[in-house]
Amino acid sequence: MLAIQDLVKVYPSGTRAVNGVSLEIQRGEFVVLIGLSGSGKSSLLRCINRLVEPTSGRVVFDGADVTRASRAELRRIRRRIGMVFQQFNLVRRGSVLSNTLAGRLGYRPAWRTILGRPLREDVAAAFENLGRVGIADKAFARADALSGGQQQRVGIARALMQHPDLMLADEPVASLDPATSHSVMKYLEEINKKDGITVICSLHFLSLARRYGTRVIALKAGAVAFDGRPDAIDERRFKEIYGEDAVEVEIGPERSQPQPMSATEAALAALASDPDLGGIADR
Amino acid sequence: MAEYFVARGLPVPAELSQNPLTHWRRLVVIALSLGVVYIGLRITKIDLSSANPEYAAGVIGQLFHWDFSILTPRDEFETFWDTAEGQMIVTIFLGIIATVFAIIVALPLSFLGARNIMTGNVLTGGIYVVVRLVFTIIRSIDVLIVVIIFGVLLGIGSAAGVLALAFHNVGVLGKLYSEAIEGIDPGPLEAITATGANRVQVIWTAVLPQIVNPYISFTIYRLDTNVRLAPILGLVGGGGIGILLFQSVNLLQYGAAGLIIFMIVVTVALMDFASAQIRRRLV
Repeated sequence: MLAIQDLVKVYPSGTRAVNGVSLEIQRGEFVVLIGLSGSGKSSLLRCINRLVEPTSGRVVFDGADVTRASRAELRRIRRRIGMVFQQFNLVRRGSVLSNTLAGRLGYRPAWRTILGRPLREDVAAAFENLGRVGIADKAFARADALSGGQQQRVGIARALMQHPDLMLADEPVASLDPATSHSVMKYLEEINKKDGITVICSLHFLSLARRYGTRVIALKAGAVAFDGRPDAIDERRFKEIYGEDAVEVEIGPERSQPQPMSATEAALAALASDPDLGGIADR
Repeated sequence: MAEYFVARGLPVPAELSQNPLTHWRRLVVIALSLGVVYIGLRITKIDLSSANPEYAAGVIGQLFHWDFSILTPRDEFETFWDTAEGQMIVTIFLGIIATVFAIIVALPLSFLGARNIMTGNVLTGGIYVVVRLVFTIIRSIDVLIVVIIFGVLLGIGSAAGVLALAFHNVGVLGKLYSEAIEGIDPGPLEAITATGANRVQVIWTAVLPQIVNPYISFTIYRLDTNVRLAPILGLVGGGGIGILLFQSVNLLQYGAAGLIIFMIVVTVALMDFASAQIRRRLV
């Protein structure tokens, strides 16, 4: 469903972020992109929906040439490609509901956006999707009042509003703690298995890649260094991808944990446990 | 100080032995500053010999010997709006109307003057440069000079004062608004673009919610400044209470002038307080 041919992205600074990547991705796959920071994972993902304009090469999505699409065609393609981000990228001052409804924008005329009158069916679908990720009760809360894991679930609900065929996830759990990471990854797994949405997800932890991916693609310096089944990555391949000095770390087992701490709580906890500050949080 | 290096047989860094107070760069700066002050005193010919201390003391006394007759109409031809308090209210509204006119022009222009909105192609990039250049040129002309020019062009009176103030504020508000847009979080823009939304929808959904508060804050700040500036407009022919102040000084009615100055001080202090309170609550 997705074909990438000789894709190259060179930034104006001269950085060759993507250096000749060719890939075929089949419907229903759960592809995990791994690689060091700066190996081109984000650029590759963003070239697929042209948030980043590729320098050369072709991206073909379901028979449509994304790289040659006009602006209107590109918008029609984009609305079938959901995307979730490391920093969630919600409108922080907006409600959870309005952030979710934003996923429908590509299907609706601009005047509806300006008048602030979403269609009834869109609102119903928003509650449906928020319910799927377990936060329908937060619909009227401000987005920035939610924990990181909850915000990422809003991000997933927003993407689901697009009825996507493909879901791009750029380090969706890199800002989350291990327990929350698993809960978010499970929602991605569910939409992949139940809805048949193809997922391309970049991850930092190989343990997560092994647990959730049906296929792992490793990038090194903007080129594909490994492409195969997750269990085929052994010690030798690992060192090839991450370098000789790398040691694999585990993200920890899945377990149910109480709600993750908010950033403030975490900061206070860190302060309190810092011996140099002598428990400043208690004062 | 140098023991660390001496004990290890390392060369002692020159920085350690320098006394910043006697460093040549600092001495040069001090010498240049003194030179500027000396030359300034020589060529500006500041001369207090024509001042008359006894006369000045008398005037100061009269300034506090307030003439309350200016608070009521002097004859049957004058109305409330010819009294000092009436003119004070007129002056406040001159500032308000000037601000409103400036907002109407600066608000749409500010989007054209925001780099993150206008990047993309040469045309929009060029518009950005021109708009910001115009803002800078407008701001560089002091508001009093603008009032004098508008007084010549439009005739002395409220029209010249209001339009001059509005003109100057297009430059100030335009810059402040544009910078508010440039300071927004680009994440939501990226996310909304990825849903297939068009440019108008992206601005409406991802940009506007982020700039509402800074815009209100900047607007109140300028409203406050404009109401402070409004009394001065009258001195150069811009209408309002400034004309009354100018006339009373010229007619040696220092009792009236003192009262008017007091009224302006109270108004400005109240504006200052109110503006600070509202802005504090917004942030």
